[in-house]
Amino acid sequence: MALKTPEEFVRSLADLHLQIYLFGEKIDDYVNHPLIRPSINCIATTYELAALPEYEDLMLATSHLTGKKVNRFAHIHQSTEDLSKKVKMQRLLGQKTGSCFQRCVGMDAINALYSVTWELDQARGTDYHERFKKYVQYLQDEDLVADGAMTDPKGDRSLPPHKQPEPDVYVHVVEKRDDGIVVRGAKAHQTGACNSHEIIVMPTVAMREGDEDFAVSFSCPANAEGVYYIYGRQSCDTRKFEDSDLDVGNVRYGGQEALMVFDDVFVPWERVYMCGEIEFSGALVERFAGFHRQSYGGCKVGVGDVLIGAAALAAEYNGAARASHIKDKLIEMTHLNETLFSCGLACSYEGVRMPAGNYQIDLLLANVCKQNVTRFPYEIARLAEDIAGGLMVTMPSAQDLADEKIGPIVEKFLVGTCDAPTIDRMRVLRLIENLTIGAGAVGYRTESMHGAGSPQAQRIMIARQSNLDHKKELAKAIAQVGKPWDKARVKEPTAVAR
Amino acid sequence: MKVVYCGGCNPQIDREALAAGLPVDDPAVPEGSTVHLSGCPRACASGHRLVVEEGEQAGAGAGGASAGQDGPPVVVVAGELVDGVQTPSPELAQTVTRKLKE
Ligand SMILES: Cc1cc2nc3c(=O)[nH]c(=O)nc-3n(C[C@H](O)[C@H](O)[C@H](O)COP(=O)(O)OP(=O)(O)OC[C@H]3O[C@@H](n4cnc5c(N)ncnc54)[C@H](O)[C@@H]3O)c2cc1C
Repeated sequence: MALKTPEEFVRSLADLHLQIYLFGEKIDDYVNHPLIRPSINCIATTYELAALPEYEDLMLATSHLTGKKVNRFAHIHQSTEDLSKKVKMQRLLGQKTGSCFQRCVGMDAINALYSVTWELDQARGTDYHERFKKYVQYLQDEDLVADGAMTDPKGDRSLPPHKQPEPDVYVHVVEKRDDGIVVRGAKAHQTGACNSHEIIVMPTVAMREGDEDFAVSFSCPANAEGVYYIYGRQSCDTRKFEDSDLDVGNVRYGGQEALMVFDDVFVPWERVYMCGEIEFSGALVERFAGFHRQSYGGCKVGVGDVLIGAAALAAEYNGAARASHIKDKLIEMTHLNETLFSCGLACSYEGVRMPAGNYQIDLLLANVCKQNVTRFPYEIARLAEDIAGGLMVTMPSAQDLADEKIGPIVEKFLVGTCDAPTIDRMRVLRLIENLTIGAGAVGYRTESMHGAGSPQAQRIMIARQSNLDHKKELAKAIAQVGKPWDKARVKEPTAVAR
Repeated sequence: MKVVYCGGCNPQIDREALAAGLPVDDPAVPEGSTVHLSGCPRACASGHRLVVEEGEQAGAGAGGASAGQDGPPVVVVAGELVDGVQTPSPELAQTVTRKLKE
């Protein structure tokens, strides 16, 4: 099958008849729902750009399974060039949408599972890898969106899965049959889950003895029987109901997260990629997280580009653009943003080919990348708010601006420089509001903090790979630690001075 | 037997000690065998590959070696990985030796 057009993607999503709940109601026409549609537009953009020759180099890749051109989001990375193009594609899409475009988690899931299933088969004589390859080919051939579902609700964080008073807080196998398994539980914070054709489930932590039922990885259609979604709220989300293109800040695009519930879902064996092999769950978590931490060195940078641009415009519109401190703040924002990009690229260029044949990013540098992502967007946002001025949070509404009596007053008092229309100044300030404290901040700020793992998760990985002993040896060699000390060689202070 | 080193910028293992523990003059090791010896999992000695496949040229410049079904063995060490498999430092030399003789 050929690559889908954006329209075909939206139609295919509607045809799934997903079970989505929002504000306590089941939403049937979800593709036209004002709160959901902007997130669908984001994914549609991944189809739209793939069809344009000027973006093809980043958006498409050649499948190692079929030799055909496929959307890079369904590709298994075959070189360090593929890894770096992934990051560049993500920056591009962040720039085009100013939002989380949601299709990365599935890509990171297939790439992590590819090598882990191979290694699992080598160790255990199973046939997970062949099953998984067929599945990847299906995603590529049909040009499908897959949700990467790792994070369980987790209940009491101090307890392992099998000791939770409520076992369903981790997805687990409740029945094994000849033809497949039955799973129960939920996955939290699922990015783009309601915009996906497929779900790829992975365990969320390294499992230990006793956790065998929780060490499960599988895929299923997003509309499998027993799967339903409870849509996540975002800051200022109901502004999307106001039918105004001004107050939302980003009228066309937005992110999406949902609580995904598995209510005794049957999964046939050909869709199961791990079932009880606890010793491989840690590698899967580590590799998925590694790929996803790399991803943020692209997508957040693209959104950062939009925010820096908005801050620069805000300064132009209020006449402060030539002030040296404004210029310096824009330089600082750019420096921080490009540092993130450097990290995303560095872990790509230092990637290695795994025994399975696919390429894996450098884990240490990917964790450094994400650790910076937990900080720099916050500083970039702080500087954007500084440059924007207080109006970004005190501005009257679109309705006021449109009002016959009040409108001209708003227009008159919110003017900046004379050559910039007030409406454009308001638009840019609303965009900054969207990205720093509004609906867009879910993707730009809190997702930067917790998405792909909270900061401490990266610090653990960094500690594990920091090679501290080597560093100590280097210091010892330079400082001559352990060398006998010849006291007699110490000269009198006066002799030294001379 | 040839040892191809990475540049050694961030070694997590003692490359020199490992090389010294390899069976350089052992007649049981096929002539022309190669060990790509990288200090960390970035595997620079083998061109960022954790395993060298059959018929494949690996490694930088003339130091590279190609693996073949009937050709001499090629083993990749990248930090504590031997051909991609986690191997504790003290067992590295012995694991590489076994692979060379296999
Ligand atoms: C916007 C957004 C999008 C996301 N998208 C996805 C997605 O698409 N797919 C997906 O699978 N996941 C997704 N995530 C989930 C993300 O990976 C998690 O948020 C992250 O792993 C943290 O888990 P948590 O939210 O349950 O926080 P918690 O686990 O509750 O962590 C809160 C704090 O407690 C600390 N903590 C937790 N457990 C322990 C412990 N045992 N010991 C010590 N400290 C502990 C953490 O370090 C952190 O500081 C998304 C998250 C966000 C915010």
